[in-house]
Amino acid sequence: MPELELELREVGRLVAFPPEPDLVPAVRDRLVERPVFGRRRLLLVAFAALAVAVAAAFSVPPARTAILRFFHIGGETVERVEKLPPAERRSPVAGLAGPMSLSEARDRAGFEPLLPPRHGRIYAADGILATYLRPRVVLSEFRADISLSKKVAGPDTRIQPVTVNGHFGLWMQGAPHVITYFDSQARGHDKVVRLAGNVLVWSQGSLTLRLEGPVTRGEALRVAKTVG
Amino acid sequence: MVGRPLEETELVERAKRGDHRAYGELVHAYQGIAFRTAYLVVRNAAEAEDAAQEGFVKAFRALGRFRTGEPFRPWLLKIVVNEARNRLRSSARRDALALRATAERPSGEAAPSPEAALLDAERRELLLAAVEALPEPMRLVISCRYFLDLSEEETASALGLRRGTVKSRTSRALERLREIYA
Repeated sequence: MPELELELREVGRLVAFPPEPDLVPAVRDRLVERPVFGRRRLLLVAFAALAVAVAAAFSVPPARTAILRFFHIGGETVERVEKLPPAERRSPVAGLAGPMSLSEARDRAGFEPLLPPRHGRIYAADGILATYLRPRVVLSEFRADISLSKKVAGPDTRIQPVTVNGHFGLWMQGAPHVITYFDSQARGHDKVVRLAGNVLVWSQGSLTLRLEGPVTRGEALRVAKTVG
Repeated sequence: MVGRPLEETELVERAKRGDHRAYGELVHAYQGIAFRTAYLVVRNAAEAEDAAQEGFVKAFRALGRFRTGEPFRPWLLKIVVNEARNRLRSSARRDALALRATAERPSGEAAPSPEAALLDAERRELLLAAVEALPEPMRLVISCRYFLDLSEEETASALGLRRGTVKSRTSRALERLREIYA
């Protein structure tokens, strides 16, 4: 059986189902009654406590091995490695031109961006566009089909799956990770390699969005809801 | 007391004739899978228990229509899933699926290093999240096939689908999962 299917079975074996109730007495009692409607019973659920325990177990910084995996979200690849490649801290809009007006940015990036009602100045390059939402907090977005971005995370960066506006996303937190981006045709501007802090990545339609900066997961998710 | 466990067909036959004790044995045998199936649909333990209980009661009353010799489990699960779907409109809180913290290793397999174990845990958490993010029809098919270990045929019966639909939906869902989880 292919690896993915084996892994799904493995996940299935570990799903924390709530404790299985004993239905025999209740069902047998009801077999002697006439049909009744809307029977509802309250049940004390230990599941919430269990979920907290599971979350706590996962909050340990992961692995110090070399293997690792790729995760793809739209045009973004997240790669886990044992040791980060060299990179320096640079502005989150490094490699992009601007600031410029929204219509200029649209022309340069080549797509219609998804923006929250309030945003700052806009920077853009082929297939990518970014704007400050507040000091040091930047929303960037790129078209998954023409632009690519890669994140490389070391052992001290935590990666957690999240749901953003109903879409699959990743929240990365902890030690800085290295981000590389370039447009697929690599026209005119160089590949940018820099360190990044906490980041929320998700995809919406044909765009991949990334919210980066000194924010908590909750704040990032709240901001993400206003985009679109 | 029943001396030894009776075959399913025999239990069903007895239940059809109104033997509540025989039906109790069937409930005992299938309450786990019925509850988990309902839970995957409604995502709420109390609602899932109600759906499973109601499903067993309705199945008992419908035994006259059950063809002797057919497998009981998929027939029962179809009734349970219908009950669970009827409860989806309620405003009950819906849980996200979570994983238990520890994995037992199959015997004979070397225990992984703590680092590898943590990595495995992260990988599984991400795969589960990717399944959870699938559109509902795909998520249910994947959950039945891989989380409940139902066969294609049982999945088709439980979800009220044709077998071909289960097959194609499974392969589309696997493709989708491979896109985000390589």
